[in-house]
Amino acid sequence: MPKNAILGDLEQAIMDVLWTDGGALTVREVLDRLTARDLAYTTVMTVLSRLETKGVTTRERDGRAWRYRAAATRESMTAQAMRGPLDDLSGEDRQAAILHFLSEASADDLDAVRVAMAEVEAKGDRPRRRR
Amino acid sequence: MIATLLLLCAAALIAVPHVLVRTERLRRSPRAALILWQALSLSAVLCLLGAGPIAWLRPRPLPPLPGGVVTALATIASLGVLIHLLVRAHDVDSRIRRAREEHRQLVDLVGRHEGEHTRVLRSEQVAAYCVPGARSRLVITDALTALPADQLAAVVAHEEAHLRERHDLVLEFFTVLHTATPRFLRTDAALTEVALLIEIIADRAAWREVGEVSLARAILSLAEAAGEEVPTGISAGAGAAATRIRLLLGDEPAPWQTLALYLFCVAAPATPPVLSVLVAG
Repeated sequence: MPKNAILGDLEQAIMDVLWTDGGALTVREVLDRLTARDLAYTTVMTVLSRLETKGVTTRERDGRAWRYRAAATRESMTAQAMRGPLDDLSGEDRQAAILHFLSEASADDLDAVRVAMAEVEAKGDRPRRRR
Repeated sequence: MIATLLLLCAAALIAVPHVLVRTERLRRSPRAALILWQALSLSAVLCLLGAGPIAWLRPRPLPPLPGGVVTALATIASLGVLIHLLVRAHDVDSRIRRAREEHRQLVDLVGRHEGEHTRVLRSEQVAAYCVPGARSRLVITDALTALPADQLAAVVAHEEAHLRERHDLVLEFFTVLHTATPRFLRTDAALTEVALLIEIIADRAAWREVGEVSLARAILSLAEAAGEEVPTGISAGAGAAATRIRLLLGDEPAPWQTLALYLFCVAAPATPPVLSVLVAG
C-alpha cells in the first residue's frame, strides 16, 4: 500500500510536468523538471511507460529516445472525471459504480427544493437525537 | 403442489415492488425499508430456487397436469434462475469493478491528493461523489471546497457514510437482481427507490453531524449546480433533492412502524423454507 501510494503520487507529479510543459518530453527532461525528488532515471522511465499503457500519455520517437506527452489536457480529463464512467456502462451499472451526492435537478425540482429549504430554515435545527 | 405454491409466492413477491415504490412512510425508516427490500427480493429468489428441489422431493400429481410435467417445469425454473443470477452477478460485478478501477486511476491523476483517499478536482462546478470499493476515493471539486464550512462538512459526512457502510454492495445486489429480472416484470422505479433510500441513510449520517439546516443548504447548493449542467446518467430520481430535504422536516417514525418493518424483514425470507417444511412434513 505505501508503495502504491508513492507510485500514485509520482504518476501525478509526472502528469503535472507533462501538462505544465505541454510539449513532448524525454525521460531525462521529465526527470529534470521533477523538483525536490531524489529519483532514479529508470523509475521515471518505468512510470512513463506505465502511464502510456494506461493510455494517458502518448509517445513518439526522437532519434534514439522516446518523447512523451499527455494524451489529453488536464481540463478534458477532469471533465471526464466529472462525468463518471459513462462510456461502456448501462444506466443501472453507472448508478451502482459511482455514488453521486446529487446528479440532476430540473428547474421545477429547484423550485420544490427552495420551498422545502425555506421550511427547514424556518424550523431550524432540532436537538440531535441518537438513532 | 408446494412447488406451484412457491412459484405463485415468487410471482406475488415480484409484484410487491410495484406497490412499495414511493411509499412516503417507508422512507422515514430508510434503513429498515432498505432491509425490507432486500428481504423481499431474497424471498422471491428463494421461492424460485426452492420450487425445483421441492417438486423432485414431493412429486404429487395435480389434477390437470401429470406430476412429471410439474417437476420438470419447476426444476427448469429453479436451475434457470440460479444460473441466470450467477451469470448476471459476475457480469455486473466485473463491469462495475473495471469502471471503478479506471475511474480511480483517472481521479488519482487529475485530482489534488488531500490525504489518503480524498481527491480534489480543479473545476468551477460544485460536485461530489465517491468511488467505492476496496481502495475507495472521495471526489470533490474546488468549487465545493469554496462552500461554507458546514455545507462542505455535510457533503463529506454524507459521502463518508456511503463508503463506511458499503452502500455500493447493497446497490450492486439490487442492480444484479434488477438486470436479472425479465424486462416486463421489473420496474425501474424500484431501483431508483432503493438508490434514494441509500441517499437518505447517508443524509441521516450527515444530519447527525451538522444538523438539518446545514445539510439542507448543501443539498440546495448541489441541486443548483446540477441544474446548470446537462444531466448525465440517472440519479436518485427527479425531485430527489426536494424529497430529501422534505424528509429532514418530518418527525421520526413511530417505533412500532420500524419494528413492524424489521419483523417483515425476518418473516419474508423465512416464509419459503417454513412453507416448504410445513406442507412437506
